[in-house]
Amino acid sequence: MPETLMTIRDLHVAYGKKPILRGASYDIHKGECLTLLGANGSGKSTSLNAICGFVRPGAGSVRLGDTELAGLAPHQIFAHGVAQVSQARDLFPDLSVEDNLRLGAMRRGSKTSTTTLAGIYDRFPRLAERRKQPTRTLSGGEQQMVAIGRALMSQPRLLLLDEPSGGLSPEFCEEIAQLMDGLKAEGVTMLMVEQNLKLAFRAADRFIVLRDGAVVDGGDVKAMEHDHDAIIKNIYL
Amino acid sequence: MLMQLTISGISQGAIYALIALSLTVVYRSTTIVNFGHGDFVMAGAFLSYVLVVLLGVAFVPAAMLAVVAMFLLGLAFSRGLVRPIRGGPHIGFALMCISAGYVFRGIARIVWGREVLPMPRVFDINPIFIGDLIITGDAIFILSTTAIMLAVFFGVLALTDIGKMVQAVYQSARGAQLIGINVDRFNDFTWGIGAALGAIGGILIAPISLLHPDLGASFLIKGFAAMTLGGFGSLYGAVLGALILGLSEQYAGAYIDSALIDITAYLVIVLVLFLRPHGLFGRKAIVKV
Repeated sequence: MPETLMTIRDLHVAYGKKPILRGASYDIHKGECLTLLGANGSGKSTSLNAICGFVRPGAGSVRLGDTELAGLAPHQIFAHGVAQVSQARDLFPDLSVEDNLRLGAMRRGSKTSTTTLAGIYDRFPRLAERRKQPTRTLSGGEQQMVAIGRALMSQPRLLLLDEPSGGLSPEFCEEIAQLMDGLKAEGVTMLMVEQNLKLAFRAADRFIVLRDGAVVDGGDVKAMEHDHDAIIKNIYL
Repeated sequence: MLMQLTISGISQGAIYALIALSLTVVYRSTTIVNFGHGDFVMAGAFLSYVLVVLLGVAFVPAAMLAVVAMFLLGLAFSRGLVRPIRGGPHIGFALMCISAGYVFRGIARIVWGREVLPMPRVFDINPIFIGDLIITGDAIFILSTTAIMLAVFFGVLALTDIGKMVQAVYQSARGAQLIGINVDRFNDFTWGIGAALGAIGGILIAPISLLHPDLGASFLIKGFAAMTLGGFGSLYGAVLGALILGLSEQYAGAYIDSALIDITAYLVIVLVLFLRPHGLFGRKAIVKV
């Protein structure tokens, strides 16, 4: 029986009067990569934003171990070990690559961040070459590396990835997939929203399908290896 | 004469720089333009007047107390009046700032009426003579104080971890939240810093001009003109814009017509918005995908 890291129960989120999540419930297991699938507007990104505290749930529970996160502010949730790589990346464009990365570990203290930074440069040698450059001068793929590296600098218990392949070339999507393989091997728990189903099925261990803000399907990606078409139909039809 | 005007312009511009910088500090983190900031400047000047003249506190400790008090007032203003209306329309922030400013001004009028008050000279610094050029004690005091303040401000911003965090919030509030920064508390702190910097401007003005409850209005416009010229939101631009504005006032007043001193700030705003809307240091955002 896999160990559960996060439990989400009956989560309701609305933007104004428009409900987006309507009672979504699912678990995230320690060390796995879970991907949320669904058509546009199904509540995938809203799920991530609710977990991170950027939107306040109207009802329901988000528990990380024994800690209730629902209703906490983003900085408090980050302090509990939940880091997000957002769709817009939200980097600090005028700061150097190294400053962006170091800031990811600032709340953790500077003593261990040097070691972590060396690990990030091992993982992304291109960032080591560009460590002094402002991030706005980097390509989209390199900026995505910085965003992922910054989140990893905090050594999160749970890493949320919102469209990690968004707007990137197929070559870089493969790099993302390989990176996620490496993170899984190191035991990093990930929750990913990804429109690129090829990448989602390549990188994830389990999937969940959201429709109209509720979970309608889910399972093991490998067990459904020959039924990806059925999953896709379930998402869009 | 040119050098004399230049010294006067830089001295005047240094005060504008503190005011423009304090406006920019708040604007960069909150995107709120504090239309009541001139009255925060006035409140700082009056607070130092009360401490020095009415309570007999020496100038330096009085100035420090006034700056700390204005920092706390700015922080309380943000926590008590700005944060609760955060989800509302942007015009609400402008009206809140204007209203708070008028409350400060009203309090000053209730206590002192519309009379002008002389602040006693605080330092008897001898002027420096370089040939025909005279650098007055007031100019030395203003320039050295402002130079120290700006060096500390930009030094902290560029060289320390706290400065990097400040820059992070300025560049992406959401990104800052993603790395665990409490942006709401940061913004409260920013309002405090803005009010304190404005108060320093007011305290520097106090000994060289007469105090009156309406003195903040003209300095607010100077601050806006400096921000516009430097590029709205640019910290370095605010300082450079302020110095250029101070010089422009002096040159225009001396070489064209002295009446131009009063309208130079307005002319600068009109010309910059017309010719280079993003100012000297403003730039358009580029998003790479």
